[in-house]
Amino acid sequence: MNISTASVTVRFGAVAALQDVSLEIPSGERRALIGPNGAGKTTLFDVITGARRPTSGRILLAGADVTPLSTWRRARLGLARTFQRSALFPTLTTAENLALAVRARMQTGWRIWPSRMERTVAMEVSSRLRAAGLAALAQRRAWTLAHGEQRALEIELALASQPRLLLLDEPMAGLSGEERQAAVARLRSLPPHVTLVLVEHDLDVVFAVAQRISVLDHGVLIADGTPAEIRADHRVQEVYLGRAD
Amino acid sequence: MTGLRRARLQRRPLGLLALLLFLISVPAWAPNRFWINVASQALIFAIFAMSLDLLLGYGGMPSFGHAAFFAAGAYACALWALHRSPDLLPLLLVGLAAGAGLALIGALALRARGIFFLMLTLAFAQMVWSVLSNNQLAGTLGGDIGLIGVPRPVLPYVPAVNLFQAANFYFLTLVVAVAVYLALAAIVASPFGRTLEGIRENEGRMQSLGTFTFRYRLAAFVIAGALAGLAGMLSASFNFSATPASAFWTTSGLAMIAVIVGGSRSLLGPAVGAMLVVVLQLGLSSLPTPGLAEHWQLLLGAVFVAFVLFLPGGLHGLVRGRAA
Ligand SMILES: Nc1ncnc2c1ncn2[C@@H]1O[C@H](COP(=O)(O)OP(=O)(O)OP(=O)(O)O)[C@@H](O)[C@H]1O
Ligand SMILES: [Mg+2]
Repeated sequence: MNISTASVTVRFGAVAALQDVSLEIPSGERRALIGPNGAGKTTLFDVITGARRPTSGRILLAGADVTPLSTWRRARLGLARTFQRSALFPTLTTAENLALAVRARMQTGWRIWPSRMERTVAMEVSSRLRAAGLAALAQRRAWTLAHGEQRALEIELALASQPRLLLLDEPMAGLSGEERQAAVARLRSLPPHVTLVLVEHDLDVVFAVAQRISVLDHGVLIADGTPAEIRADHRVQEVYLGRAD
Repeated sequence: MTGLRRARLQRRPLGLLALLLFLISVPAWAPNRFWINVASQALIFAIFAMSLDLLLGYGGMPSFGHAAFFAAGAYACALWALHRSPDLLPLLLVGLAAGAGLALIGALALRARGIFFLMLTLAFAQMVWSVLSNNQLAGTLGGDIGLIGVPRPVLPYVPAVNLFQAANFYFLTLVVAVAVYLALAAIVASPFGRTLEGIRENEGRMQSLGTFTFRYRLAAFVIAGALAGLAGMLSASFNFSATPASAFWTTSGLAMIAVIVGGSRSLLGPAVGAMLVVVLQLGLSSLPTPGLAEHWQLLLGAVFVAFVLFLPGGLHGLVRGRAA
C-alpha cells in the first residue's frame, strides 16, 4: 500500500514538530526515516496512524484521503505500527497479547460465546510465538518479559495485523547484537508487497535494509534519496551523520 | 496448544461447588427468618457487585454511579408490579431493560476515562437520585418516600409457591445470582471479554490493531447496567419498596468496596466481598457499644482502607496466593 503526506504540519504550541512535510512512499518500498532526536519522526508516525491530527495537511493511504479517519479505521485499511516505547498489554500473557492482535485482524473480538474461530486464533498464536522466539514465554505476563523479549512481542503484535503498510519506530533500540539479527530476520520474512517505513538510529541497519532514505531535521524534510545519495548529501552529513551518536 | 486462558468455570470447579452447596444449605441451618433475609440481601448485593466488576475489574472503567442502574431496575419493577402484574418473567425483563436503557443514557460518561469517568458517572447517578427524590414527581415516583407496597413476584407454572416466604425468595435470588455468575463468567472468558481486557490494558494499542474500542466499552456498560437493573428488581421485590436511597452515591460506594475487598477481575471475589459488606454492615450497625453503631460507615471505611493497604488483590488475591 502506498502512503503519501501532503504538506503536513504539526505544532505543539510554539514548537513545530513537523513543517510542511510532503512524502511519497510507493507500495512495497523499504524506506528508512532518519533524523536526530526530536526531529519529528515519531510525530510523523502519529499523524499517519491517526493517533494525532495534523495542524494542517493531508494523509493519503493508497491514494485515498484518510485525514479525517480514526486510528482503528486506518488500521483496518492495512496500516500497522510499532511503538518506540513498547505498547503491550502488560498484565496479560504473551499468548493473550498476540491473540488480541489476531482477533482484532479477524474481527472476531465481538463474539460473546466461545467461537470455533478461537481454534484458528490459538493455532496462529502458537506459530507466531515460535516465529518470534517467544514460545517458551507464552504464559508469562508481558510486563515480566525482558526488554528484548518485549521488543520482539511489540514487533510480532504489528505483524499479526498482516499489514500492507508497516511503520516501525526504532524497533531495535536497546537490543543485543543477537536479538538485533533475529529482529532483522523476522522483518526480512515480510512479503515483498508490504510497504515498510523504518525509524532507526543504527545507520548500519538503515543502509542494509533501506531502498530509500528520508531525513528529517527540526520537523523539516531535508533530504530524500537512495542510500548512496544520502551518504553523499552534505546537508545530511552536517545535521546527522556528522554528529557522533 | 498455546494455553490461551481457558474458561474460568473449569478452573476451580471444587471451590465453586462447595460455595454453591453452602449457599443452598443456608435456609436449612439458618436459625430464623431474619438470617435467611440477610442471606437474600447478601445475594442481591453480590449480583450488583459482580455486574460492577465487569466495568471496574475487566473493563477498567471505575464507575461511581452504578447505583443509578440498580435504582432504575428497582423503580421500573416496582411500577410494573404495582400497576401491571407481578409475574416473575416479565419483571425480570423489565429490570434488565430498565438498567440497560438508563445505561444507554449514562454512556455519555464513556467519553471520559479514569478519574473523569468516575466523576461523570457519580454526577449522573446523583442526578438520577435527585429526580427520584423530587417531591414534585411524588405522584408517579413517590418522592423521597419512594414506591411502597410492592408485591413479591409470582412464579410461572407454580404460582402456589409463595415468594413471601423467606426461604422461597432466597432460592429465587440464588437462582438469579447463579445465572448472572454463569453469564458473566462466559462473557469474560469469551473473545469479547478478552478484548475488553485488552482495552483496559492499552486502549490506544487496541485501536492501532483495528478495534473500535468505544463499541466494546459501550456494550460492557450496557450489560453491566442491565445486570444491575436485575439486582434492583430483586431488591424492590425483597424490600416491598423502591427508595431514592438505592440510587444514592453510598450504594455505588458500597458496591465499589465490595469489588475491591473481594478482588476485582474475578467474579467470585466481588460476590463474596458483597456478602461480607452486607454482613459487616449489619454487624457494625448493631454493635452494643453506644456511639460506635451510628458510625458503622466509618468502621466499614476502615476495613476497606485496611484491605487496600494490606491486601491489594482482595480476598480473591489472598486465596490465589498473590495479588491478582
Ligand atoms: N505531546 C507533545 N507535546 C509537546 N511537544 C511534543 C509532544 N510530542 C513531541 N513533542 C516535540 O515535538 C518534537 C518532535 O518529537 P518526536 O518525538 O516526533 O521526535 P523523534 O524524531 O521521534 O525523536 P526521537 O529520536 O528522540 O524519538 C520534539 O521537539 C518534541 O519535544
Ligand atoms: Mg521518536
